[in-house]
Amino acid sequence: MNLTVSSTDNLISTEDRDTEDERAFRLKAREWMHGKLPPRVVGQPFMDWDDKDLIETDRKTQRVLWDGGLAGITVPKEYGGLGLTRRHETIFGEEAMPYRLAWHLGNNYNIVIPVFLGHASEEQKQHYIPKMLNGEHIWAQMTSEPSGGSDLFGLITRAEKRGDKWSLNGSKIWTTGGEDSDIGLCLARTDPSLPKHQGLTMFIVDMHQPGMTVRPLTLVNGTRDFCQEFLDNVEVPLENIVGEVNGGWAVASTQLASERAATSRGWFIGAGASLPREQIEIASEPVKLAQELGLAETQRAKQIVGEVIALQALRELVAQRAGKGIDAGTLPPTTGGVASLANSTLNQHASELMSELAGPCGVTGPAKGGEPDPGIDRIWLFRIGGGTAEMLRNTISERHLGLPREPLPGKDVPFNQLKTNAAPTGA
Amino acid sequence: MDVVLSENQSILQQATRRFVEAEHPVLATRKLADAGEAIAASAWQSCAAQGWIALFVPGAHGGMAEEAEGVIDAAIIAEELGRQVFAGPFASNAVAAFTIAQAGTDKQCAAHLPGLVSGETQAAWCFAGTGAQGGLEPGELTFSGNQINGAAGFVENGASADLLLVSARDGQGLSQCLVPTDHPSVTIEPLRSLDLGRGYATVRFENVAVDAGAQLGAAGNAGTLFERQLQLALVLQCAETIGLIDRAFEFTLEWVRERHAFGRPIGSFQALKHRLADHTAELEAAKAAVAYAAKAVQNQSSDAAIAVSIAKSQCGKQGVEIIRDCVQMHGGIGLTWEHDLHFYLRRAVANQSLLGTPAMHHERIAVLAGIEGETA
Repeated sequence: MNLTVSSTDNLISTEDRDTEDERAFRLKAREWMHGKLPPRVVGQPFMDWDDKDLIETDRKTQRVLWDGGLAGITVPKEYGGLGLTRRHETIFGEEAMPYRLAWHLGNNYNIVIPVFLGHASEEQKQHYIPKMLNGEHIWAQMTSEPSGGSDLFGLITRAEKRGDKWSLNGSKIWTTGGEDSDIGLCLARTDPSLPKHQGLTMFIVDMHQPGMTVRPLTLVNGTRDFCQEFLDNVEVPLENIVGEVNGGWAVASTQLASERAATSRGWFIGAGASLPREQIEIASEPVKLAQELGLAETQRAKQIVGEVIALQALRELVAQRAGKGIDAGTLPPTTGGVASLANSTLNQHASELMSELAGPCGVTGPAKGGEPDPGIDRIWLFRIGGGTAEMLRNTISERHLGLPREPLPGKDVPFNQLKTNAAPTGA
Repeated sequence: MDVVLSENQSILQQATRRFVEAEHPVLATRKLADAGEAIAASAWQSCAAQGWIALFVPGAHGGMAEEAEGVIDAAIIAEELGRQVFAGPFASNAVAAFTIAQAGTDKQCAAHLPGLVSGETQAAWCFAGTGAQGGLEPGELTFSGNQINGAAGFVENGASADLLLVSARDGQGLSQCLVPTDHPSVTIEPLRSLDLGRGYATVRFENVAVDAGAQLGAAGNAGTLFERQLQLALVLQCAETIGLIDRAFEFTLEWVRERHAFGRPIGSFQALKHRLADHTAELEAAKAAVAYAAKAVQNQSSDAAIAVSIAKSQCGKQGVEIIRDCVQMHGGIGLTWEHDLHFYLRRAVANQSLLGTPAMHHERIAVLAGIEGETA
């Protein structure tokens, strides 16, 4: 299920490009992290929400970075960050290569900080952002609902003002790490009489308060990274909204854009996925599998193995190209989504070829190299998680290629007159 | 090509695009195809005058190799040529000039390179076998007792060339020599070609005597250089395919935006949009692979061989896949002779099949990755 930590062999350092000031930052980062951070372990998952020790390790790592003045590199100083540039972030990433970083806190820096910087009040920014940077809070995104995934803005979780509180009722699903998060961003419907995009508000919700039930979901392969939440009269203070009442669409748009941007530049800081390498990384698993199965001399195996190696190399090459082009301004930022889709398609094809190579040995145990599995991982990781591949194709065709949108018949109709998968509560 | 070009390379790209659009657009290829003719010698000379072959030739012999990154620059040109399905012999002359410049004696360089640079001499490369496996390795040609024997298949520009670069098996090794096409024991049989803008021939050698002055490099010792020639030819082929896809994709996007059906532009239907998104992703991966391969071959990196095969895998498969789908999205009009799409599709299919099919390159990648060894 989980994306795993890859090798750092052959990565090209940009150290020779450092200015004097950048050099000082690099050395400070190098010195501080040395001996204080856990080592990078190739093959370890970036995230595993069933591994409570690993989550705790990541919180501590974030604290160590904070103490060393290395947290929130591009975040403004007034909110606890360093106020530095993307270049400094790259330098930090290069220096962090030997270590495991606070990858369970990805929502904090990839999504919630950009949302807060764009929409939160001054008070909220000063209160929450430092706690995102020092590892005190892990944030969750409560976005999708059981009644609809891709049609996010058709959500039906209801928020009603009752006295000096908001009261939230409904259910959220596919919340990464919901059980171990402290606070969540929760989009809910505040006015069903408005068209669907217009009656939404973004709430800051305590994940461990009365009325909130968080239940991990067990997936086909046994992993429990995602949760479903049931909100039963969850009370939220009036001031705990981000942006305007009924202005949640704008906040959520920033949230989604931040998610897309982070995904395309490599979600896990210091993961190295899109950093240039001196050599093409040759996948070794297909060669090993062919040899273990005694197929290495056959033409069929050679053709499959060669194609898998090509597909895996292409995944890295396209990510590097997109990253380089976007940074240099020669490719539009939407190329990030293009690289994501390429990654998903190439990986899917490679996985299918590996199954074909293994033949009957891939579906029976004791299998060489892990549990037999029906290919759920690759469907989830690349084709559903973080937005379905179908939605990504819409985004690419409309924003990258400039093709016309599909007509949306319900756009201006009050939400409570639209057909949904469940009746809105209240209203 | 790469997403970040040097200033000189940007200028080269723009100048080549302007030149090819003005002098050798796809319409010129169409006219040649309708007339059943190859590009005129004078027209090729005007192309060579742009410096296309000079990239590989040192200044002492009329070139400018010292100021160029030959492989990368030539790939930039090849991509532009693909955009207009150019009908001239770029790759065959480039490979010949590259090889002579690398392995030729001063005398050989002086005899052949200035003509190749100016375009007055045209060359073709004879190496492939004549059967379905031909194209990625030296085929049936042998060099023994200073004589070449056998046949070379799929020789690009064979029927128009003056000079043949011959790569022939020599015992356990490989020898290369230069043979004029008017040699009495050389027979050139033009082949019918799916690609209407590019001719191929079978070239037969019957006891063709080669004196020492015509041998390139030491006998039996050309294997390493042969691999570099192949890499160069593959980079140019793949870069050309990128140009083909890019241009065919551009006018397909224009078409689906303008063409209306059921009261909507057909480009608003997900049935088309999702396929176009998929093609964009595959094309971007192909571009990444070709840019990397060009750089690796230019720098003679140790992963250059595997890099070109990865590029060929992706370009070979996707060139055909994407352009065929461009035809599909055009509907009936895409099937007509008068539409340009078939020129693009023909070239893409030819590029897929020549210099090793994707499947042949997959085998090569597996071998390069050590599948035949004890451990990976």
